[in-house]
Amino acid sequence: MIVLRQLATLIAKDLRLEWRRRARLLVVLVFACTTLLLFSFALGRETELLVKASGGLLVLALLLSSTLGLAESFRVEHEDRALEGLFLLPVDPVAVFYAKTITNTLFLIVLGPILVPVALALYSVHIEPGKLGDFALIWALTASGLAAPGTLYSGMTSRMRGQDVLLPLLLFPLAGPLLIASVRSLTLLITGDAMDELGAWRGLLIAFDVIYWSIGGVLYPFVCEEGT
Amino acid sequence: MSSPSEPSPPDQPIIAIRDLGRRFGRSWALAHVDLEVARGELVLLAGANGSGKTTLLRTIAGLIHRTRGELRVFGRDPNRARAHCRSRLCLVTHHGYLYENLTALEMLELWNRLSPAPRPRSELMPLLERMGLAERARNEVRGFSAGMRKRLTLLRAELERPELLLLDEPFSALDPDGQRFLEQWIRASRAEGRTFVIASHALMRATNLGGSSVLLERGQIAWRGPSSQLLARFSGTAS
Repeated sequence: MIVLRQLATLIAKDLRLEWRRRARLLVVLVFACTTLLLFSFALGRETELLVKASGGLLVLALLLSSTLGLAESFRVEHEDRALEGLFLLPVDPVAVFYAKTITNTLFLIVLGPILVPVALALYSVHIEPGKLGDFALIWALTASGLAAPGTLYSGMTSRMRGQDVLLPLLLFPLAGPLLIASVRSLTLLITGDAMDELGAWRGLLIAFDVIYWSIGGVLYPFVCEEGT
Repeated sequence: MSSPSEPSPPDQPIIAIRDLGRRFGRSWALAHVDLEVARGELVLLAGANGSGKTTLLRTIAGLIHRTRGELRVFGRDPNRARAHCRSRLCLVTHHGYLYENLTALEMLELWNRLSPAPRPRSELMPLLERMGLAERARNEVRGFSAGMRKRLTLLRAELERPELLLLDEPFSALDPDGQRFLEQWIRASRAEGRTFVIASHALMRATNLGGSSVLLERGQIAWRGPSSQLLARFSGTAS
């Protein structure tokens, strides 16, 4: 019960801090939209190609912008050694990890309602209204799949110099299966799912999420304490 | 593992250190430290910059792992029985453990809700009033002066009511009124049976608190005795 109380308190604290520092969300959104725009320039004006690639481009924009948000999420914890203060209370490191991961997941999910319409407009993509629920689910699974290992690595690298370089170096290779499943799922939703493959890819996304949310909770207590 | 609230025997020293050593790279920040602190005792750690005072406090708090030796806090190893030890001690350092974008009241509420035994919310504002921060309760911490940040950090110790207080340079950044208030607060807390280990360069004020003193030199205990004799001893060593 104490851990649950700590988890709820830390989520409320993280959301409050995110709201007070909402300029950060704006920066990440602008970065992501710029990325989508540059992708459209790179691929040219061939509509068919843009439609086929739109799922992948959306996920790539999310991945690239996620590193900005994830890297920042632990920076606030080290400004006045606030994280050390939490551990001294003592707060369970597992509660710290899951609170950060949930906040980061929400942060990445919130990018969706802005990025998806921008991508649809830029790439001339049409999604049937009946598929919007599935689209939102895939987006949320991708966001939570990036947030779990991203939060773990952000926690590990947050006290190191060059975190901005280290975080993508660690996260991108690991996110391979997640990217493949997410891109395939979104592409099937955009271009049609004649072979009924969506369920399998969605299953892979769920499996990735379950594995990394579990592993993160187990590993974080070992990586968070300093001075070992 | 014992629960965090499990009481420790009253005759057992709160802190028991034997041949403690901590190495950073090739240099020993602490070496052959032997120290026992009894319940209700006040121990002042003195020494030049880099003598190992902060490292010793952080090791006792379980934030730093020792390289060698024995360390027991409330009868347990603070690196292993973290919840057992940390729920009974409070470390106050020159870092305030503050979030810049939270208000003073929100900081206090956060610490309170995360502590093992939260107080009623109605008790928080009186605490801020007592520390002279009531008027700034709804201001974000980022606008606070160093002295106000220190007062807010000290409130954490008041909020938690720990058995053991580890204070690292508690008088720094405080104005004379704040220093007097802190001195009175430490005296009152000692009267309630709380134990203090204080690292300070403000020896005139710190030795007023009584208790015993430990002089650290290059990570080793060079002298231990009554605080009333520390000033003479310290100036003698310095010369």
